[in-house]
Amino acid sequence: MAGLKIKYTKTERARQKKILKVSERMLPLFEAMEKSLMASVNSISERIEQIREQIEQNRLAARDWVAVMSDSWVDISNFISINKIISKPVDVAGVRVQQFESVDFELMPIGEETPLWVDDAIILMQNQLQLLAEIKCLQEQIVLLEEELLDVRARVKLFENRRIPNAKIAIRKIGQKLQDDERLTIATAKVVKTSKQKELSP
Amino acid sequence: MSNLVYLMSSLPSLSFEEIPPISLSEFNQDAKDQLSGKHFHIMESTDIQMDISNTAESGSGAVNILLSEVYQDISELRKAKRHNRQAKLERLPILVTNGNPLVREKQIMHYLWEELDSIESGKRFSMTELMVYKLKLQILWRLNSFNIDAGAAVLDSVVNPSKKEEVQ
Repeated sequence: MAGLKIKYTKTERARQKKILKVSERMLPLFEAMEKSLMASVNSISERIEQIREQIEQNRLAARDWVAVMSDSWVDISNFISINKIISKPVDVAGVRVQQFESVDFELMPIGEETPLWVDDAIILMQNQLQLLAEIKCLQEQIVLLEEELLDVRARVKLFENRRIPNAKIAIRKIGQKLQDDERLTIATAKVVKTSKQKELSP
Repeated sequence: MSNLVYLMSSLPSLSFEEIPPISLSEFNQDAKDQLSGKHFHIMESTDIQMDISNTAESGSGAVNILLSEVYQDISELRKAKRHNRQAKLERLPILVTNGNPLVREKQIMHYLWEELDSIESGKRFSMTELMVYKLKLQILWRLNSFNIDAGAAVLDSVVNPSKKEEVQ
């Protein structure tokens, strides 16, 4: 505020009042947006944690038979790979993000002599890969939401620390200045009137 | 014939789920050194991972029938599971197919081992006994390849390739 030059006019005071009114109306909106973005980021983080727990549960459930995956007869990595992750755009707290839909897998046909465990391993791997793909989508959502959150926080600070206080100070100072000017004008008029009266009196 | 007797006598005995006492390449080399070209070819073409679309390719009739029927049962189990129906098995006892995937593979291997035992019974120093020996050795090497840490690493390499790259 110290570096700001204020025009001490009624028009400027009106302009500052308008800025204050708009700022006081916008601030709660940005605060609500900030809360909404934070809530979204928190709920997405919780979802990521849930998925991680699910992945761990699946891994533990397979622990009893995971040894079979080192079978010298089969290279399981040849049987499954990801073609692409399918997602759709959605709005979360006013931000456009990609929501996970599914994973398109490339599956090699299983020959009749292929050991039976390969079927179970493919199901497990599909589950784990889908869950990991969902985590990836959610992490990308968090990045976008946090970018927006930084922007909104900067706006809230701008309104709270700069615009509203500056406008209030400007209005007060302009008010004082205009009042002083008015008093000075009245006092000057009175002095002029008194001196004129003195001149007229014999 | 005498070479076959010598070969069979020189090979270490095998028992189920033990650590294989001899590698497959050592076995092949010993067989190549002792057998005639014709016999070695028959032995070499015998493989437990047979192609069931070409069952008459080699080896003993009883062994081929066993492997063919077991693999057909595996195929039937897969189809039954896919269509959510009861499997109609020709050879494998249904109990063998119970349990988790690791237990199931071990039970199937154990079943094959016992069936191979009955095929070779009374056929000392024959090509059948030699082929059964090879198949049993393949079973032992397969069972020996089942390892928790190695299996977990394989799972990670497919599910989480970045983790594998980090480790490397």
